Amino acid sequence: MEEKVLEILEEHCEEAIDYDGDSMMEDGIIDSFTVINVVSDLEDEFDIEIDAKYVVAENFKNKEAIIALVKMLLEE
Amino acid sequence: MHKAFEKVILIGYGKIAGQALSYTADRRKDYGYQIEFVEHEVNPFPVTEKICRENDIPFARIEDKKELAAFFQSISERTLIVSVSNNFLFPGSLVAKENITIINFHNALLPGYPGRNAPSWVIFMGEKESGVTWHYVTAGVDEGNIIIQKKCAVTADMKAYELAGTLMELAYEAFTECFDAVIQNKADARAQETGKDRRMYRSYEIPGDGFFEPTQDAADIYRLLRSTDYGKNDIFPPVQTVLEGKKAEVLRYRKISADRVPEDVLQAIAKQAAENNRADCKENRAYTYLADTTESGFLYFPLDNGNILRIKCRLITP
Repeated sequence: MEEKVLEILEEHCEEAIDYDGDSMMEDGIIDSFTVINVVSDLEDEFDIEIDAKYVVAENFKNKEAIIALVKMLLEE
Repeated sequence: MHKAFEKVILIGYGKIAGQALSYTADRRKDYGYQIEFVEHEVNPFPVTEKICRENDIPFARIEDKKELAAFFQSISERTLIVSVSNNFLFPGSLVAKENITIINFHNALLPGYPGRNAPSWVIFMGEKESGVTWHYVTAGVDEGNIIIQKKCAVTADMKAYELAGTLMELAYEAFTECFDAVIQNKADARAQETGKDRRMYRSYEIPGDGFFEPTQDAADIYRLLRSTDYGKNDIFPPVQTVLEGKKAEVLRYRKISADRVPEDVLQAIAKQAAENNRADCKENRAYTYLADTTESGFLYFPLDNGNILRIKCRLITP
């Protein structure tokens, strides 16, 4: 699962893969339009629905947070 | 040097607001104005507060409309208000104040598509071209004199959020181009040709009323879905349809190549499409619904060039 998440993330935002901070949005690594594309691909790949309440900066602050979000949704 | 404006106040949200704010902060050294930033609509991905912190710019979050109007009314300095990705309508009394000049970015080529959610309507109407307009704000909505416009193509698969993103890039480009003229109050603005039959798009209006019949042309359905697609932003409610006599809402959709569809699904599509063609569809409007649970399933439509429109739906009535 992690590998696929990273693959999707890399497709839309290569810089996010090497980013080791904790605020990709504020640091200008990712923008809200890229987040929409990443969410759309994650939903399609894992056949999950990512509710709007989860699409917030905290869950997209770095790649680990995105992986944790997908993991949580898959376990629901 | 005489300063046309002593103060610049930016109001808006999102990436474009952040870009305009950073640019205005950088240019402060050239014109010596003060800057303030106002956030009226809270964004799940805020960027402006940090920029304000780093550039020593006062930041105010004012969500209440009356409070915001009062804030603007209290301005006594000669002030330029930059409305960038902002949905607050400036009251006529504020616009009329002599010490206040307001410019606004509209995400369409005015006088076309004034009002709300212009990228959606542009896509829904099948336009091949759109663009941005920076204009002076008057008492009427999106009616003020045009300062600058820039055009872009609307591509075949473009979704509303993608067009909105492209327009924001253009808007920033245009902002930097017209900034010096605006800040010196020397912009060569031109009047809009607004006739009586001008169509104003309201916030409560939804392209296609947010509904499609599965028997509609697949290209029209795809256009409707793209026109209302802002990702998880709840600008519009989910698009609805009726499946097997039950209401259903669209969870997500995707245009895919037929070779990405499993063979057994393709066979089911062909079989059901043939039946639907006879029953209730005109040629090329066949659809297939394959349930994956009792509550959800996938709708498939043939599109041009061997592509398939796949829509995941959820039944919303028992």
